[in-house]
Amino acid sequence: MSRLVWVLAFALISAAAATSFQSNSFVAAEDGGSIFVERVAAFVRLHKGLDAALPPPTGATEAERGVARQRALTSALIAARRDARQGDVFTPVVAARFRAILRDAFTGPDGANIRRTLKEGDPVTLPPMHVNDVYPENAPLVTMPPTLLRRLPSLPMELSYRIVGRELVLKDVDTNVIVDVLPDAVPAAP
Amino acid sequence: MRAFRGLILSAAVAASVSLYGQQLATLPSPVPVRFAVIGDMGTGKAAQYEVGALMQKSRGTFPFDFVITLGDNIYGGNSAKDYRNKFELPYKTMLDSGVLFYASLGNHDSPTQRDYKAFNMGGRQYYTYTKGRTQFFALDSSYMSPEQLSWLVKELQASDADWKVCYFHHPLYSSGASHGSAVELRLVLEPILIKYGVQVVFAGHEHFYERLKPQHGISYFIAGGAGQLRKGDLKTNTGLTALGYDRDRSFMIVAIVDDTLTFETLSRTGQRVDAGVIARHAGQR
Repeated sequence: MSRLVWVLAFALISAAAATSFQSNSFVAAEDGGSIFVERVAAFVRLHKGLDAALPPPTGATEAERGVARQRALTSALIAARRDARQGDVFTPVVAARFRAILRDAFTGPDGANIRRTLKEGDPVTLPPMHVNDVYPENAPLVTMPPTLLRRLPSLPMELSYRIVGRELVLKDVDTNVIVDVLPDAVPAAP
Repeated sequence: MRAFRGLILSAAVAASVSLYGQQLATLPSPVPVRFAVIGDMGTGKAAQYEVGALMQKSRGTFPFDFVITLGDNIYGGNSAKDYRNKFELPYKTMLDSGVLFYASLGNHDSPTQRDYKAFNMGGRQYYTYTKGRTQFFALDSSYMSPEQLSWLVKELQASDADWKVCYFHHPLYSSGASHGSAVELRLVLEPILIKYGVQVVFAGHEHFYERLKPQHGISYFIAGGAGQLRKGDLKTNTGLTALGYDRDRSFMIVAIVDDTLTFETLSRTGQRVDAGVIARHAGQR
């Protein structure tokens, strides 16, 4: 009887472990997953630390105070990351993983819908994105295709992915500061 | 039975909101959930102010308590001046009267709007709240992440509201020539809406008004003309449209009482563009 219990417990634990591995396959993979997670976590620590250190924003209205806080955080992030370079997060190994994911997504059964979503927003021609630039305040955000988001590793709420042209951009949500850029991420249209 | 139901609906329409809303006082207890719907409004131009003024005027006879926004709340900038000229001033009288605004984000909106107190988002890009027996789900359709979808499933599963209303920016169905239906979003979102009994969905993005023919039992509306306007953008051959209006700006007012949702759509000049009633199916929850 006790042996049966052990067998059942082992089966349950194995199934749970398999599920966990599948849902976090990017994180668990040797080829870049842990590097990506570490670099993202380091950025979030920086963001939170700088945010916590900001003096109380000044302004007569709540909107003025909100905008003042955002601008102060933007300046602080850019200053703290003045040595940041393209590829700090999307290291060569991580970049190869992301490009493979994007290639599979764009050439797979969801590919046509993904391209349609990207075109469907209010397309604007944006200049090439550079690390530590600020995503143009007046430009609309390109909608991130939901089936693509399903394939990419999850991000903490401080960060989001955006596709600009053929680049995958990793962007700070609060400040619009570009954290990293992956060039040639999107396969050329067929 | 059908004739009886038609009679009930006719009576509900007759007792529904109207532009100058004389019959509203006859709506039965309990207190209705009354709200207005605006989308794509944050231009800061005269038309937005005119719509805002008419919304305020309509409160005289249809005293809605809150407004849901369908995104593109503040176009073209994120300064304090933008917030003032494109939101606080056009709706000043309503804000001063205690009308609450519950925003969702569009593709022209800074995600930092989630922290703007007057939008009541509580620092979240997607959130839910309940009014009476109606639960509202405001989603961020520009970034429909797996986390957001999981959250929505969890919240819908837990909901015991009679009415479940979702709103977000990109329309799952649309006859717009410029944008059209957000097909990919529909593939991931609509099965959840169907499975968990969402009855009504409001979206913007298109700069016009469109009431779609019900899809899979869900009533879809596009109300993205409260500031912007794309005249003549409605295609007539999609087979999706129950009624469309793309000649002027517009907004909606909605009342939910028991099993009946009554809506009316008004143009910038006060013309009644559309009106009707949606009945909650018996046992639908």
